[in-house]
Amino acid sequence: MKKKKPFAAVEPYLWLLPSILLMTVFILFPIFEVFRTSMSEVSKAGLIKGFCGLDNFTKVLRGSTFKLVLHNTIVWTVAVVVISTVFGFILALVLNNKFRCRKAVRAIVVFPWATSLIIQAGVWKFIIDKDYGALNTLLMKIGLISSPVNWTPTPQAYFAWEIFVGIFVTVPFVTFCVLSGLQSIDNSYYEAATVDGANYWQKLFKITLPLVKSSLTVSTVLNIIYVFNSFPIIWTITKGDPASRTDTLVTYLYKLAFYKGKSGEAAAVSVIGFLILCLCASIYMVVSLRKEEE
Amino acid sequence: MNNHTRGTKHVILRVLLYLFVILVVLVTLYPYFVMFTTAAKSRAEIYSTDGTLLPIHWLWQNFKDIWTLAPLSRYFINSLIVAGGSTLIAIICGIPAAYALARMKFKGKKIFLGIVIISQMFAPVVLLVGIYKIMSTFGMTDSLVGLVFINAAFNQAFAIWLLRGTFISISPEMEQAATVDGCGKVSALIRILLPVAAPGIVTALIFVFINAWNEYTVALTLISTDVLKPLTVGITIFNGYNMVEWQYLFASSLFATVPVIILFVLIEKHLVGGLTSGGVKG
Repeated sequence: MKKKKPFAAVEPYLWLLPSILLMTVFILFPIFEVFRTSMSEVSKAGLIKGFCGLDNFTKVLRGSTFKLVLHNTIVWTVAVVVISTVFGFILALVLNNKFRCRKAVRAIVVFPWATSLIIQAGVWKFIIDKDYGALNTLLMKIGLISSPVNWTPTPQAYFAWEIFVGIFVTVPFVTFCVLSGLQSIDNSYYEAATVDGANYWQKLFKITLPLVKSSLTVSTVLNIIYVFNSFPIIWTITKGDPASRTDTLVTYLYKLAFYKGKSGEAAAVSVIGFLILCLCASIYMVVSLRKEEE
Repeated sequence: MNNHTRGTKHVILRVLLYLFVILVVLVTLYPYFVMFTTAAKSRAEIYSTDGTLLPIHWLWQNFKDIWTLAPLSRYFINSLIVAGGSTLIAIICGIPAAYALARMKFKGKKIFLGIVIISQMFAPVVLLVGIYKIMSTFGMTDSLVGLVFINAAFNQAFAIWLLRGTFISISPEMEQAATVDGCGKVSALIRILLPVAAPGIVTALIFVFINAWNEYTVALTLISTDVLKPLTVGITIFNGYNMVEWQYLFASSLFATVPVIILFVLIEKHLVGGLTSGGVKG
């Protein structure tokens, strides 16, 4: 038995080894590379010429484009996450009721989550087209409009549609996270509250909301990360054009790296994006820790 | 009287509920309806100023033509290789890790779990510059093997999270009894835990498969040879320079979408339970 002890000490790490190797090579190394590239002078062909300190960062931050792109990214992330969370929550409350075809409805609601973003974005690009789009056809056939409407007269209008598509694909995830939280609530809470004469809203805010809070937190945190880093929707519908008016950080850095041959600056944008996410994560940690202390 | 008004209120609420549900279902299905009907139209009909809701003539031929107009079957096989390969690797690496995290006590366990969560913050798209560099050094920039490993790695966190949640929910007593009987940990895991955990494992399998199947950005960046493209990148071949062949784009999109939706509907019930419960238990 005694001989086995040194093995027992390292054993758990052996179990973790394949996973650690996989993530080290394909996630950790690229992270390291991005940080290194962000502080290097890079040739157009992508070769690192030498250390250049924070030059790439100052180059990126100096331009007015970055401010615009950062602003877009914040609008995009906040709008998509907040609206999806509110609507997804309401939808979960509704779907938690008993009604006919509930199973089928829940299966249908999950569709947008299961569809590739690139395909979903492609369809919506077609739907909102001003010349031959499906939305104009539909509205004209049911008589709501008499001539085609230009749904995307300005870059902002395009951006609003992109936000709509973002919400469309994000809602199912929120809904199903909340639904799983709702199903774990014991019905006796509600029965007791009804006996005490509580109305619907009181039950919602005093019982339901506190009990699904952890599910909502999981979905919100994950969604902030996913939406912030989301690429295919904007790439398909506008490619960030015109003149970065609809760019977010990820589409901007993609163009810097693979269209303009500025890997150094692209890496700097990556690092800035990562720092912003870290900041959000730590704010979230501080707030949730403080709440626990109360 | 009181009873009567309560009854009316109940009826109104039910009607509102149904209206809301119907509206949500219609809006959700709308893009799929557009995809399907447009896929069966002729190009002239799509681009005509007098738009139609349903095709004048259902051109089922479009669904056949796409297989000869583009190397669609190659794209299909490539997607299968990427999704299947990365699922296999993600699960083979993920099961032992999840097992250790669920059943063993060791130093650095919390740190490892923390790193797993933080790794989620780095979406592949943010790391593309780095991924491209690493792949160049391995000579895997234009290869399916490269895509397999990247997808496996970026789904590792989710796989571990789901599997660990499943393992924790299963009592360790049976494995302990088996170990006492002289059965090693590995065989206890394979013979006893894995069969019981099968539903959770299948959920993780399908989830990783779908993620890899739907992945677009990394494939777009790494793959330049046409016959190596997976479906998500390949179908954009119909997105031409001058004119988009919407009917072909949507017909092939449907072939790429339907199998995944079926898989997703199958696991939907297990998936979210696993996502949220895995996190709560220490």
